[in-house]
Parts: sequence; structure tokens; C-alpha cells
Amino acid sequence: MTLLERRGIPTVSYTAAGFVQDARRSAVTFGLPELPIAVVPTPFTNQPPERIRAMVEGAIGQVVAGLTRPLPMAEPPREGVVLLEEEWLTFTGEDQLAAAREMNERFLSYGWGDGLPLVPPTEQAIEEMLRGTRRGPDDVVAVLEPGFGLATVKKIAANAVMAGCRPEHLPVVLAAVQCLAEPKIYLRNKAMSTGPHAPLLWVNGPIRRRIGLNSGVCALGPGACSFANTVIGRAVRLCMMNIGHTYPGVSDMDTIGSPLKYSACVAENEEASPWPPYHVEHGFDRETSTLTLLFVYGICELHDFQSTEPERLTEVFATAALNVAQVPTGLWLIGRRADPRYGTEEKEHHCLFICPEHAEVFRRAGWEKGHIRRALHRRARLPFRLLMLNKEPQALATAHPELTWLWESPETLVPVLEDAECYDIVVVGGAAGRGAFFWGAGEPVTKAIEE
Amino acid sequence: MGTLKVFNPVAKPVETRLQPAPRPADLRGKRIGLYWNLKAGGDVALQRTKELLAERFPDARFSFYRGDVGFTMRHLTAREADRIAREVDAVIGTTSD
Repeated sequence: MTLLERRGIPTVSYTAAGFVQDARRSAVTFGLPELPIAVVPTPFTNQPPERIRAMVEGAIGQVVAGLTRPLPMAEPPREGVVLLEEEWLTFTGEDQLAAAREMNERFLSYGWGDGLPLVPPTEQAIEEMLRGTRRGPDDVVAVLEPGFGLATVKKIAANAVMAGCRPEHLPVVLAAVQCLAEPKIYLRNKAMSTGPHAPLLWVNGPIRRRIGLNSGVCALGPGACSFANTVIGRAVRLCMMNIGHTYPGVSDMDTIGSPLKYSACVAENEEASPWPPYHVEHGFDRETSTLTLLFVYGICELHDFQSTEPERLTEVFATAALNVAQVPTGLWLIGRRADPRYGTEEKEHHCLFICPEHAEVFRRAGWEKGHIRRALHRRARLPFRLLMLNKEPQALATAHPELTWLWESPETLVPVLEDAECYDIVVVGGAAGRGAFFWGAGEPVTKAIEE
Repeated sequence: MGTLKVFNPVAKPVETRLQPAPRPADLRGKRIGLYWNLKAGGDVALQRTKELLAERFPDARFSFYRGDVGFTMRHLTAREADRIAREVDAVIGTTSD
């Protein structure tokens, strides 16, 4: 709406009551705190038409007022998070431990953490953390949405301290922040969604072993064996919150949340993989360390102790993609994620963490990753009718008018993703035939890690 | 007595400030854009909006728009916003959830 207001066009938008603070905060962020909204009791989604019409009738006065009356000074958004101006904050207690407890209580009340205890970002801790990078503390790594927060190295370091990171972890966190700021990631779309978008990270290259990243048993946690994985993933979430201002209930409108949002970071098990590592596949030198970030909706297993042939294994794997209740399934039928500001578009990707046992099945049969992708794309199809159960029919007509004939042939099998390249494959895990499958949101981004 | 001094981990935002568009005194004779971002139910809401406004402002005219890029939610590009701005005097949008 600010695009139109800037062009001299008065606007007003329907907003459900539960999203009013979110709308007000967005309006502040985009420079127009007075932007009028017409508040209705609930979202229009999942409502019968007569209920929608009744809500509109109840709000029409607000619509007319929003378009015709001088706009009042906006109340500042007030719920869910406290933003303080001071650069340094002081807490006291009976002793240092009590002061640290007080800090944690206050930060919790401000909304600044993920709900778990935070390591205090003292001056000494930050100085020590900054030894992990050659970059200066005031270097601006990125501007992070949705709050357009300035991601200086020092702010990132502070959040890395709070997450429990060590200095050697900082370069990975910095690379992750660069990924988040990549226009193609369309961070605003994922950070503010009502969906459970979580940043899945995987690391390639020599840094994995140097800093103790786990690519095997329990790589996704929990446990001491995945300490580096866990704290790096956690630091990325804290950066999203405190630098990008992605605060639950304020700007992060995820209806339920997800344990993946706390931390989801692994290293690729390059040593157990029969194929070139992910980063080499994508144009990086083997000796360059990289961080890849893909937002994902959720995880399920890729369990198979029986199959010794690649076709049967991919048939099993493909069933993981046949979940219509996951947003990306068939999403391409109604368009692509697109950030209108940058002209970027993303196809939906899924990510498979293939365990070494299964990778060996493919290797024995001479299958490269491309074979697996093509086999998955062939097998992961559903009837058009099923794919459209939870999608707006008019969106198909808008995005793909050439496919509207499918309404006349609703049992036609349609691929769940747009093409075979939309399956990303990473070798991760311990012994035994169990991998993991992630329903992705958009495309992955890979950045070199500067050490 | 223990004291703990910590660095504020919250980033300052890059601030933007816009001026809102001037508002007309009423909607009589105005061209009104009804913008649907493709979130379910928004089309029903805008159709009812049109009906109610047409009763109040019989000489108002209405045009429907959708975002020109996107998927479950469609957005306006700058080019599409330019077009809409040429064609209407006010816009009602849905849905901000």
C-alpha cells in the first residue's frame, strides 16, 4: 500500500484483529505509521462467504474513513517487544550470577531471546568473539528485513555470544547473515509469514572439521557432538530476531511455531559421499568453505532398510514429497515466490539429507545426483485435483492460464515441484538407512565463508 | 553486589519516512481500485465492499486488481503500481491477514 500512497493514491487495507500490531509495525518500518487499516474480527481465509460479507459490513465505515479523513497520528506499536536505544545496558544483583539472571529475565520480558537462557554479551565476550573474524566491528554486513536492522559485525557478534558460540563459529554466522540478506531469499516473506519457515543451514569445506561441525550421528542435534551446529543455528535465529526484528507475535506471525526455528545446522558428510560435495556441485572450489541456507517448512524421515536398488529407493523417497498439506507441494501451479522490489523469483526446492548407506546404494548402481533428481521428479506426482485442494483456483488462471484445461481432467498426474533441479541433495548422517527430507520454501543460497 | 554491563544486541533500523497521500473529502465520483492479493476470501470481501460503496456513492466507479507477481500471495511491482495510480483515485486492499 505504501507503493500506492507514494504515488498520491490514498489506501486502506482490511486487517484481521490478530494482525493489527503486525500491520502497525510494518507500517512504521515502511515509513508510513499513519497507514490506515480497516480491522475485521478474523482473517477472511477459511471463512464462508456470508461471514466475510458480514465482517465487511461491520468495517465499511473504517474503509470510508481511511480514504477520506485526515490521518491521525499513529499510536506506536506497543505489544510483544521492547526496543531500547541505549548501546550498553546494566543489570545488578546480589552477585554476578544474580545480575546475569536479572539480564535474562529482562531480555525475556523485552522479547529479545528464543526463550532459552542467554550468555551475557559483555564487552569482554564480544571482544573475544570478534577475534573470530578479520572484519571490523562496525562493518555493515547487511540490512536485515523485516525491520531493516543494520547488521554490523558487532551486533552479529553480540547475538553469537548470546547463542553460546565460540569465536571460530563467527565466520559461519556472518555468512548466514549474508545469505539472509540476499534478495533472492526474500527474507521478509519468510520471516513474517504465518508459516513455520526455519533457516536450514549446511556447511561445506575445510571449516567443518576445524570448528567441530557434526556431519554424522545426531548432526541435527541434540548433544555435545553437535554443539557447534546447535549454537551456530541458534545465533542465526537470534540475529533474525534482534537484528532483523523478526519477533514472534509482532512481526513473525507463525501460527504454531517449529522446533526447527531454534536451530537447524549441519555439515555435509563429504568424506562419506560418493559424489562431489554440494558446494563443488555449485561452482565453488573444494577448499573453499561455504554456508548454504534454505528456508524449510518441516522435516520427515527418509527411512528404508530394505532397498538395495536405486529405483526402489527413489520410489520411497518420492513419497515424502507427496504431502499436499505442505505449502510447496504443487505450489508452482499458482506462481512463484517473487519479491516485486528486486524482480526476483524463486522456485520451491526440497532438500534431501541422504545418509551414507543410501548414497552407497546409488553409487553401486552408478547413479549421480542428477539421476536421483530426475527419478524423484518423475515419481513425485499427484492428481491435479488433490494439488489444488488448498490453493486459490483463480491463482492458477493468473499464473498459468495455459493449464486451466486441467480442471476438465482433474486426475491428471502433475509433478509436485516445477522441475528436477528443485531437489537439493546433501549427504549427512551416521550409519543405518535413515536420512531426512525437508519441504523447502523457495531456493537455497550459498555464500563463501570468510575466515 | 554484582553488576553486569552488556551490549545491546538489538540493531537500529534504517529509518524511512513517507508522507501519506492526500485524502479526498468523500468518494463521490471517484474511481476506486479494489486490490486483491489472492489470499482466500479477499475476492468475496472486495465484491461486498464494492456493493456497499456503490450504495453510498452511486457515481463512484470500481476496478479490480490483483498483484502481478507472486504465488499464494501476489504483490504489486512498481510498474503495476504506476498503472493503478493512473487509473484510480483510491485503493482498498485485502488481505493483510
